[in-house]
Amino acid sequence: MSSLRETFARVAGFFWRRRMLEENLEAELRAHLALAAEEKVRAGMSPEEARLAARRDFGGLEQAKERYREQRGLPFADTLVNDLRYGFRMLRKARGFTFVAILTLAIGIGANTAIFSVVHAVLLAPFPYPNAERLAIVWSVYGLEGRAPAAGPELAYLQERSKLFEEFGGIWAQSGALTGEREPEQVKVGQVTWNFLSMLSAKPQLGRFFRAEEQGFSAARSMILSDALWRRRFGGDTQVIGKPVRMNGNSFTVVGVMPADFRIIFPEGSSVPPEMDVYIPFPADLAKQPADQGYIRVVGRLKRGVTPQQAQSEADEMASHMRKQFPAFAEQELKLQVVPLHGDVVRNLRPALLALFSGVGFVLVIACANVANLLLSRASQRQREVTLRIAMGATRGRVIRQLLTESVLLSCIGGAAAVLMGSWALKLLLALRPQEVERLGTIELDFTAFGFTLALSVIAGILCGIAPALRATRVNLVESLKEGGRNVAGARRDSRSVLIVCEVALGFVLLIGAGLMMQTFAGLLRVNPGFTADGLLTFHVSAASRKYETPEAATDFFRKLQKNVAAVPEVESVGVVSHLPFDESLPNWYSYYWAEGAPKQEQNTVMADHRSVFPGYFKSIGASFVAGRDFDDYDIKEGREVVIVDEVVAERAWSNGLAVGRKLNIEHKVSTFESGRGGVEVIGVVKHVQSHSLTDRVRGQVYLPYPQAVRPHMSLTVRSKAAPETLVPLLQAEVAKLDKDLPIYNVQPMSAYVEKARREARFTTTLSGALALIALLLACTGIYGVTSYSVQRRTNELGTRIALGAQRSDIFAMVLREGMWPVAAGLTVGLALSFALTPLIAGLLFGVRASDPLTLAGSGIFLGTVGLLACYLPARRAVRVDPLVALRYE
Amino acid sequence: MTPPRGEVLQGTLDLIVLKTLDAMGPLHGYGIAMRIQQVSEDLMKLNQGTLYPALLRLEQRGWISSKWGVSENNRKAKYYTLTKSGRKQLVAETESWERMASVIGRLIAGAEGN
Repeated sequence: MSSLRETFARVAGFFWRRRMLEENLEAELRAHLALAAEEKVRAGMSPEEARLAARRDFGGLEQAKERYREQRGLPFADTLVNDLRYGFRMLRKARGFTFVAILTLAIGIGANTAIFSVVHAVLLAPFPYPNAERLAIVWSVYGLEGRAPAAGPELAYLQERSKLFEEFGGIWAQSGALTGEREPEQVKVGQVTWNFLSMLSAKPQLGRFFRAEEQGFSAARSMILSDALWRRRFGGDTQVIGKPVRMNGNSFTVVGVMPADFRIIFPEGSSVPPEMDVYIPFPADLAKQPADQGYIRVVGRLKRGVTPQQAQSEADEMASHMRKQFPAFAEQELKLQVVPLHGDVVRNLRPALLALFSGVGFVLVIACANVANLLLSRASQRQREVTLRIAMGATRGRVIRQLLTESVLLSCIGGAAAVLMGSWALKLLLALRPQEVERLGTIELDFTAFGFTLALSVIAGILCGIAPALRATRVNLVESLKEGGRNVAGARRDSRSVLIVCEVALGFVLLIGAGLMMQTFAGLLRVNPGFTADGLLTFHVSAASRKYETPEAATDFFRKLQKNVAAVPEVESVGVVSHLPFDESLPNWYSYYWAEGAPKQEQNTVMADHRSVFPGYFKSIGASFVAGRDFDDYDIKEGREVVIVDEVVAERAWSNGLAVGRKLNIEHKVSTFESGRGGVEVIGVVKHVQSHSLTDRVRGQVYLPYPQAVRPHMSLTVRSKAAPETLVPLLQAEVAKLDKDLPIYNVQPMSAYVEKARREARFTTTLSGALALIALLLACTGIYGVTSYSVQRRTNELGTRIALGAQRSDIFAMVLREGMWPVAAGLTVGLALSFALTPLIAGLLFGVRASDPLTLAGSGIFLGTVGLLACYLPARRAVRVDPLVALRYE
Repeated sequence: MTPPRGEVLQGTLDLIVLKTLDAMGPLHGYGIAMRIQQVSEDLMKLNQGTLYPALLRLEQRGWISSKWGVSENNRKAKYYTLTKSGRKQLVAETESWERMASVIGRLIAGAEGN
């Protein structure tokens, strides 16, 4: 208690009223001496004698004051303040050095700040949901097909039976058209279980969440708006609660508005976009829906203290019960997979981010090595100062502390500059961020990032200051003072060489990593996705209103639209398809297929993506036929039961791949909640169209003529040489001619979808390239600095050699050799290091192996050449040394 | 020559100062020093300079308080007073000192007895 008080008093004494306290002390001691002297005068001494005697009795006056000051304040902090002041002065005196060191550290630390912000936001920070750490995605697994959505009865069963989950929620992303007083607008609709929103948000901005009784068939139709839609379409009207909204021909009542920062962070491939416009409760009784129609993405919240493993084993049990209870689940071999939400969302990002984070760590180490080098050079210039201090009685620890204070000061200034640099780098980085990072919302430099930067600055300061400080203080007083500041170059050169070895090794690893990523990206550019994206414009149209309720009406509408658009001048061809390649905005539709007549155990094992198309789609996207033909008007008009498959399906179903004329058992005659299954004749085989990934053939593809699979939302693919800007109004006009209430939306060139698919690779490639470039520059200046410094220090020696008859070519070779050996050693260490590290990024690579000899050799030669260039200039300078000048040097 | 005087042990100085203030009431630094020298009959050597950091420490710990006042011969001086918690501290320190002294006394007596 009293020592706590003392601490407070000391802190107060350190910060406040120093001058007043000092005057008080002065006055008190003066009073003491005066009182003592007066008494002695009274005892008979002369005033002068009395004054001296009082001083004598008192003892050392200055020591007493100093001890008093130490007791009053914080001696540690006092020293620190002094050291800092001194450090500032020293840095100001050597401006060139200070500038270069701070710039180097700012680059090294700033790069870390930027990447850390992303790593923190993506991998470390919890999602902005209540009890986010207990949320888990529940995937359905059908046979070999994992990560699939759940059917209605499945979710209902989980909700009813689970003991380890608090609750389950589900969502199905759809789209709808808002009509009414304002112009029609296509919106993303989240059909949700009544509890879904309350699982992911603390409370709505206005109104309330859904109630249990609002879910189901006969229930009143309620709607919750997103903040964006509420502001856009309702002008942020706070009276919106209770108002009717028309969507797809039905009337809904607004019951709530979600908070502005609400977004749904679901894993990629779940077809749940982060921003929905409106939410409505499922308008059906989930338990009574068909068990073979999976469409709901399920999220559950574990009870407190339940581990994912426990939840998984409960899920296994429930799946086995369901297989017994529902024949459809038994047939599809339903299993469940429980994965924590956060881990599932970031699972694809983690390896790339960790690789980049380590890379940026390497860059910092290289930057520190460079600064350490600079400090070493300075330390030798300051040898006299240090020697003098030690000779005057400063302990080695005290001098080390002072030197470290200086380097930490340096790196903290660097850190401050790094925050600026980091925020700038972060902006650049976010412009490149892959879609999956985008899902997570805004990423900013926050306090955690500041704290990280500060900690990193201090560590960096110590890291680059410790070796020079130790070196500078290891002095032999007599020798150093005698030599008058001139130094023995040998020993010091060694520690510099070690730094160069380290820089080159890490730089080499970064260069190899960047080389591998660049080859990966080049590989992605070379990939033939099965279609030609250039010159292909796409847009969505949604015929969701009552007008198009019958399949005939919908078919008729899209056929007319296709014909009219095709008639637009400059349009070469037009396709209509239910789902564009790489389009993440719609739920993917996929189901089992097998060759008609396949044995029972081969049925229900493999799935294919289903696409509903009109004739002309393949031509418009530039897909090519392997065999057979496209659909024709006759297939559409007559509703013939025919199908086109891709080569993957053809080869899987019939080992010889000869599919045309055979019958494939698939889901067909599909509308929203009904479907049939049966053998359908294959009339054509097309090349596989990459649809989910540029590199993997995720699933085979089955194309049905539209009347066999009526969908409300379709996309048009328009091939034309005209610029999109001139084309879009024409397309809009064509749609409006048919139905003025139908908006066209998601207007995008096909190349934008492809570009998006390449974004993660572009992100890692650009970043690793940037890191390697920085590393290269730093290593280059490091090598140059060390070599030229050594040449400068050895001017004398070199001059002597030349005077004694050494060939200039020998001198040149000697300097190069000595400059290059740490580079060579670094390359060797780096090579060994890369063998250990590159397998870790193998998962990020495409079209190139982690141990690609070409990349290794190329990077090595490149770095070696750069090192040679960095040594070349100093070596040339060494050759030009004039013996006369050199001998006079120093 | 005067006989060698004992150095004041660090720690015992606190006790001595507290006791002095307890016995004499408010006193300035010089007065405290004089009093200690009188009581110990000059047997204890007090470096007067060490008194002030000690006073500051005691004050920081809240055991004594200080106030500027005027001395008997009209000089401005800082007067120190024992606080309530200082009095408690004094009791505690006295007890522990006595315990220590008796233990050491017994140890020495025992050693002599042999």
